[in-house]
Amino acid sequence: MTTVLDAAGQFSDWDPLAQYPIDPPGARDPYPRLAECRRSKPIATRNARDEHGNIVDAFEVYRYDDVAAVMRDNTTFSSESIRADMAPVMGEHVLVGMDEPDHKRLRSLVQFPFRPKSIAHWEDELVRPVVDGMIDRFVDRGHAELVQEFTYTYPVQVIAVILGLPHEDHLQFHQWANAITNFAANPKTGFIAARELRAYFADVVEDRRKHPRDDIVTEIAVAEIDGERISDEETFSFLQLLLPAGAETTYRATGNFLFGLLSNPDQLDAIRADRSLMTQAVEESIRWGPPLLITSRIATKDTEIAGTPVPAGSQVIANVGSANRDETRWERADEFDIFRESVPMISFGVGVHMCLGMHLARMEMRTAVNRLLDRCPSLRFDAEAIERDDVHIHGETFRSPTAIPVLFNPSGSPPQAPAPTALGRQSHTERLASVT
Amino acid sequence: MTLRIEVDAEKCMGGGNCEFWAPKTFEMGDDNISHVIDPDGDPEEKIVLAAQGCPTQAIAVWRGEERIA
Repeated sequence: MTTVLDAAGQFSDWDPLAQYPIDPPGARDPYPRLAECRRSKPIATRNARDEHGNIVDAFEVYRYDDVAAVMRDNTTFSSESIRADMAPVMGEHVLVGMDEPDHKRLRSLVQFPFRPKSIAHWEDELVRPVVDGMIDRFVDRGHAELVQEFTYTYPVQVIAVILGLPHEDHLQFHQWANAITNFAANPKTGFIAARELRAYFADVVEDRRKHPRDDIVTEIAVAEIDGERISDEETFSFLQLLLPAGAETTYRATGNFLFGLLSNPDQLDAIRADRSLMTQAVEESIRWGPPLLITSRIATKDTEIAGTPVPAGSQVIANVGSANRDETRWERADEFDIFRESVPMISFGVGVHMCLGMHLARMEMRTAVNRLLDRCPSLRFDAEAIERDDVHIHGETFRSPTAIPVLFNPSGSPPQAPAPTALGRQSHTERLASVT
Repeated sequence: MTLRIEVDAEKCMGGGNCEFWAPKTFEMGDDNISHVIDPDGDPEEKIVLAAQGCPTQAIAVWRGEERIA
């Protein structure tokens, strides 16, 4: 996106479809194709790009067991393909692109602050104030477009706060985050932003080593295991990685979660009344609407997947979006149903690379939706805007709603009668179900 | 019946998903490895989910002689 964020948190020239820079037009609903692949050809070849940008054949796997097997076997399937993709922006030591034993060493050094117990105090101290600050901007208005005004920006803000960046730097940080997230669409701007952000982080890290604080940069900068310290290059790469890995995925996942709830008013009412449903609802939303559908590996030796020979050097694409809809693991797998029995899903990956930030992501999503429900009474879709703007969940690589137009009772005003009639609401819900 | 729960310290990569599913049973230690703090800490189905959700299959759960996860 080439949009620029202003100090009031508004974007100029926002284009909803620019959220999907690397997908072909028509990437509206990949799920019917993926269902057909699971049934008829559990491993298929598709075009992909190698690290030089050349079109090569890649193998794509679709069934839950095959996807999990590829991700678990990190000896046969290397993450080198991800390193090659990300190194130009994130540096050579990008954690998601490393193999063992280097990966384990670096991950051990950085994952401590992301443990469930470590992040628990962030919920009240950091995430909730950020979320509330954003809701403050529209709570008196009675309507909002939650992608532009909320989901797109709050995770970057959370990272800025977690890193302990001074408030006056937040807008600049947002601009860098925006440029780096949209690297695929605009590489030049992305490169420049990455270089500037690296220099900025260098100063921050140096400052924390001299003046340690109770924040995550300090914790990582001084982390030591068996006398080994993290290198400066590794530190910068990791901090940069927080943007695509931590902010972009969380923004899309929160959008999908809200879309799932708003499209299913019965479930929305249930969770509004009983917030203890929130944890299972977050899990279901991440299964049903993962923010990123695919990840890739490189076969390190001749191997076989689902009976098909895969030669050494082949790129293998694991379609976690498809695996999460595997009919052999979930009944009515295409339906969003917060009441279904929990079975571990695979949106956070599995194996040694399983998402480092999963506990933070879950907590952010829970807090964001809880506060919206607390502060925006009768939160509901703006059916007219949905129709007018052809609002839907889009994308087959990164996937999230084009927009989330909502209505609610403005803060301080008396409750309104619910606008949609029973009939109108029904057809509206069905229409949404048919496009998701 | 109290479950027997084993965490393979070699396989454990410290992701903390077990602690997410069953926080009264598992705890990530300062050694970056999950430890069983109370085998009766959570309902059995949550402990099974924790084992199934382990990214590196480092958790084994037995009820008597029967391995249930």
